[in-house]
Amino acid sequence: MSATAVEAGGGAGLRRFLVRHVLMSEYLVLYLSVLYFLAIWPFVPEMATASTAGNILSAMLPLLVVAIGQTIVLIIAGIDLSVTAVIAMASVVGASIMTGDGGYLAGSPFAVPGGIVAFLVIGGAVGLFNGVCSTKLRMPSFIVTLTMMMFLSGAALWYTTAHTETSSIAALPSAFVAIGGGDVAGIPNALWVALAVAVAMHLLLSRTLFGQWLYAIGRNREAARISGVPVDKVIIWAFVISGLLAALASILYTGRLETGTPVLGRRFLLDIIGAAVIGGTSLFGGHGKVVWTVFGVLFLAMINASLDLIGLGHDFAVGVKGAVILLAAVLDAARRRVLARQ
Amino acid sequence: MTRSTLHPAGARARKAGADGVRAQLLLLELSPLILFAIVVVLFGLAADRFLTLATLNNVVIQAAHIAIIAIGMTFVLLTAGIDLSVGAIMYVVVAIVTLYLGDLPLAVSFPIGLLVGLLIGCINGFFIVVVRVAPFITTLATLFIGRGVALFMTDTAMVFANDDVLTLGQTDWLGLRSSIWVFGVVFVVAFVVLRSTPFGRQVYAVGQDPAAAAKAGLKVPLILFGVYAISGVCAALGGLVSLTQVAAASSTFGFQKEFPVIAAAVLGGTSLFGGRGTVVGTAFGALLIQTVETGLVMSNTDPYAYPLVIAGIIFLAVLVDAQRTRIAARLNRRKIRIDDPQDRG
Repeated sequence: MSATAVEAGGGAGLRRFLVRHVLMSEYLVLYLSVLYFLAIWPFVPEMATASTAGNILSAMLPLLVVAIGQTIVLIIAGIDLSVTAVIAMASVVGASIMTGDGGYLAGSPFAVPGGIVAFLVIGGAVGLFNGVCSTKLRMPSFIVTLTMMMFLSGAALWYTTAHTETSSIAALPSAFVAIGGGDVAGIPNALWVALAVAVAMHLLLSRTLFGQWLYAIGRNREAARISGVPVDKVIIWAFVISGLLAALASILYTGRLETGTPVLGRRFLLDIIGAAVIGGTSLFGGHGKVVWTVFGVLFLAMINASLDLIGLGHDFAVGVKGAVILLAAVLDAARRRVLARQ
Repeated sequence: MTRSTLHPAGARARKAGADGVRAQLLLLELSPLILFAIVVVLFGLAADRFLTLATLNNVVIQAAHIAIIAIGMTFVLLTAGIDLSVGAIMYVVVAIVTLYLGDLPLAVSFPIGLLVGLLIGCINGFFIVVVRVAPFITTLATLFIGRGVALFMTDTAMVFANDDVLTLGQTDWLGLRSSIWVFGVVFVVAFVVLRSTPFGRQVYAVGQDPAAAAKAGLKVPLILFGVYAISGVCAALGGLVSLTQVAAASSTFGFQKEFPVIAAAVLGGTSLFGGRGTVVGTAFGALLIQTVETGLVMSNTDPYAYPLVIAGIIFLAVLVDAQRTRIAARLNRRKIRIDDPQDRG
């Protein structure tokens, strides 16, 4: 390597700088986001307005909350395909409790707390089930969460028809809607929630023994078990966290839409996993950070927003998103090759 | 001199224990068939018309497209890979065949459709083998790109097949519907390729241990490339078979079809970690899912319950399979302890 660097002369210095500080940097996706913004700005000046920034933010916050949960499951070399179905199921069950239109706790002062508890109980219970199946019963998490997704999306539709003639459950209490749509000190509540989740999960991963255990399990499950990590318990908790965060995202989505909807989040499943992976989290476990996922979600949200502004709409965005995922993956492959050579 | 000859009583007890485990294992091995039998009997009791040849015929016709794609997926899963792009390939191929090739005879337009599937499969293979991007990410990306391109071509509107396609979908040869013939041919070819060709054996070898396969001189990249190409062609074929049956494709054609396809393969005993799975098992898995669906329809079950029942059955099958794997692992472990010293000596 040094021989070729000497031969290439001056150009090599720049190349080495680029490789070390851009390609190898963990902020690569952030740089790409900035680059994309600068590239698209001359053509779409609206990108730089406050309202666009607000749109990007409000689109990315609930996605970010779920994607962080997904990151934790990916770190232990699992995958959670059930998150969007959890979002849908929690949305309709929570709404059925709170709705002024014949809800179980309609009119009671416990309506909103009861509804929120229902969201979280569903998320936690599904996470627990996924975790127990992938550890005690030795089932691959891909299949456990896949069947869970099929089951819950069907159940959410069924549950809705049992409660309303229409396709969604409306008339949610204003106190609940304010959670997704209101603000404190001029900052939207959703942003507070997402920030709190991101900071808490970042600290969990980087500063606690539990975080160390997650990475250890992802790198080598057997080695972790032999060195005394309570592997099964940690994996179950990872799935519970993912389920709870999906439920939290469901609260934000449901509050923003002001209705409980059984098809909520259906389109986002691969976006969620895509965002984590674009950020640099590995599907094979052991690698992943909350900030990476933040960048991944930001990148996807910005692309969606810019394509909306250009007027190409959702359908075209789907294709561009694919190209971007591929580009990020190719860069990542190049990065790993450089790492392997060193 | 081994421990078992020194302690005959202990060896006998261990052997009896192992026989018990073997019996358990056999039972678990047969469990998909038992599950199938239970399903058939239950629906037979619930609906009189269920246990007829007409029902069987219908099940095979409706399962054909999923079964064909799942057979292609089996090749990929055997190498411990995954192909998420199959649903998108279905849609791209059908969009191209209906929008741009509608005036050509089917003998021309359908092969072109298959070539499109082959091309996308080769793109998958290129990124996985040459650029070394993980299969999950590569095919996730081609899923998005494929759907995006297809939506762009169709402008999200419904596309319609011409009359020739419809006629083909209703044609019987020797009493069997065209889609059954296509399914049968794919099944036989895939069965023979996996069972009796060097390529088939190499696919299993790569899935069991890619490093060992490479050391043994197998061209691992070429084999990996091959399985994604096969999956691409099968997905295209499945899309076309589906088109002959439904005659029109909306913007959700093939949407999230990757999941039932993978479920069918897994239900048939194919492992997501590579090296284990058969074409027979996969075809069986696809037929089981369709049998359940048909049975639910014929027994007048609430349509909202379909996905719940199907998810429950897939879950059960995988649960049983996981226990089978665990017991098999325990059995192997014992064998190593007792026999190993002798083997080495």
